[in-house]
Amino acid sequence: MASQLLTGKNGPSLRVALVHLYAGFVLFLLMGLLGLAMRLSHAQMLPLSPALYDEFFTLHGSGMIAAILLGAMGGIIAVLSSRTQLDVRLLWIGFVLYILGVGYIPIAVLLGGFAAGWTILYPLPVMYQAGWTPWSTFAFLLGYLFVALGFGVWCAAVLLALARLHGGVTRALAWPFVFSGGRVHNPQPLPYLQDIAAAVISLYGIFTVLVGAVYLIPLFGQNLSLSGTVNSLFMKNFVFLFGHNVVNLTIYLGAALVYATLPVYAGRPWKTSWLSAFGVNVLFVTLFFPYFHHLYQDFANTVPLHILGELGSYGTGIPALLVTVMGGLLLVYRAGLRWAVPSILILIGFWGWVFGGLGALVDGTIPVNQVYHNTMWVPAHFHTYYLLGAVAFVWAFLYHLAADLSGRRESRLSRAAAWLYGIGGAGFVLMFFIAGAAGMPRRYAVPVPGTGEEILSTIASVFVAVLGLALAWLTYDLLAQLKPAWQRTRERAVHS
Amino acid sequence: MNPWGPFVVFLVLGAAWTAVWGWATARSSGPSGSFDAVYAAGGILRRRLFYIIVAVLVVVFLVSIRYFPYRSLAEARLGVPTVHVTVTGKMWQWTLSQEEIPSGTPVEFEVTSIDVNHGFGIYGPSGHIVAQVQAMPGYTNRLVVRFAQPGQYLVRCLEFCGIPHIGMAAAFDVK
Repeated sequence: MASQLLTGKNGPSLRVALVHLYAGFVLFLLMGLLGLAMRLSHAQMLPLSPALYDEFFTLHGSGMIAAILLGAMGGIIAVLSSRTQLDVRLLWIGFVLYILGVGYIPIAVLLGGFAAGWTILYPLPVMYQAGWTPWSTFAFLLGYLFVALGFGVWCAAVLLALARLHGGVTRALAWPFVFSGGRVHNPQPLPYLQDIAAAVISLYGIFTVLVGAVYLIPLFGQNLSLSGTVNSLFMKNFVFLFGHNVVNLTIYLGAALVYATLPVYAGRPWKTSWLSAFGVNVLFVTLFFPYFHHLYQDFANTVPLHILGELGSYGTGIPALLVTVMGGLLLVYRAGLRWAVPSILILIGFWGWVFGGLGALVDGTIPVNQVYHNTMWVPAHFHTYYLLGAVAFVWAFLYHLAADLSGRRESRLSRAAAWLYGIGGAGFVLMFFIAGAAGMPRRYAVPVPGTGEEILSTIASVFVAVLGLALAWLTYDLLAQLKPAWQRTRERAVHS
Repeated sequence: MNPWGPFVVFLVLGAAWTAVWGWATARSSGPSGSFDAVYAAGGILRRRLFYIIVAVLVVVFLVSIRYFPYRSLAEARLGVPTVHVTVTGKMWQWTLSQEEIPSGTPVEFEVTSIDVNHGFGIYGPSGHIVAQVQAMPGYTNRLVVRFAQPGQYLVRCLEFCGIPHIGMAAAFDVK
């Protein structure tokens, strides 16, 4: 069976992509087990000490974000590799740095007892009376540093490839087209939407790595007793800008993979129009401003910044809804869509992205945030547009790539498993939303009486089991596809 | 604000979106139609939706300003505070300057921390969160609240601050 992604020349790039995607998927499964353990703990079905619970949520949060970002990075490598040559050595260097970073995290958490949460809110990581050791903080920070470096190297490799493909970075961003109001079609042909998105994300990714450095350097300094304390509000702004960016870049990488994948199943092209090119470029602005919403309850951060946060939170959803989600639904409308695991997961992803986005919109409204901030509403909305949005998009692409390369046909059960992924995920996150409205705090090792958390976690655990069942089936498929897919990348012949 | 109000709004919006998504998804496997016609109709719909969404969000934003918890806006809505309570967060306890607060009177909580970030979350007698503010070292955040309902109010830390975080609680009475 002919492959659409294999050109006969891009085997090495596809192998890097497969390694990124499969490593990310395995990490996602492991972190998912920790998530299940935490739900079972709140359901009083699995006794976890507060210390272990806190370690689990620290590991789960940081590990999940690393897993999905890694998978998404692999997806973009595969997408670009069929049209341009990537620097494979640079990509491997980035991967090694990234995995090194990922490796430090469980050492810090499980051996050193580090449990300050994935957001490492200053000065908690360097307050060792909280329950961890200085070396564990150092190992955790080292983990973040290497992950950020690995991501930065990936951004550089992708930018170089895009510049080569389109004759410069501004052309890859379609700026001549965008800034001429759509009159100047330069370069010709216009970059695909996934190329424009990858260029925006890579540039923004480099900015994000620098933001991370601003946060990490004072923490390293204090951890190593080289410097004193720094301003908490300054540090909070930077850590949330960093974390917000990383999560959102992952989501938009997932969207870029959708632009490349869904047309294959819909049999229609995803056109680069002026509106879509502009909508993707507007990410430079809409990615930045919403981060202020993380600091609504820090009244010292001044009212204009809170207002920017609220307006930014509202504004960020508009291009996502009108360009990607609506564009995707128009693409499949009366298209004779080929139902397959990737197309099902993408459609589930559209649902989850918007449904979770609505939760974010509600919480992004300052008076509502007064009663929802730091409750389970927060994990509710980001689990929705992550697990049922970005994650679904990334694993849709993984399945698409593995099936494309291996030539294996999926079964009806595989398609049922994809739908079960959505059902299990939706039931699971709905319990989070209810718990949030009931006032259950997030990052709380025990259920708070009167919030119904025990019963909600019991129901959530059942839905997570359904999700787990679906993932087990899809994992079986992916493992069966891995060997033939890998072997296929070693073929030299050019396929149509 | 009753936290179940926004939840109902969210459910209604979520149900409407689910219906639209389900409608479009159900029609995706049907007979193949002209994409150009779909694309053109979608463009018009997209433009209209853009204006509707922007108009709705502008109205929501303008209404929300009145209910901002920030000092000057809260004072304009609730009145100038006549009771001032200093609140200090410290790993892992709260210290409040007074534990009895009059009902129906604007109260200003002056909240700070001497070590790490804490979350000063006030739970009402019905078990819902009434208001909250962050306690940050080096800063004093001023939260103005007027308690309508007498009874015992609980304070929980809503910002993770170490393994004993779950035990960081306090209480005060509104009479």
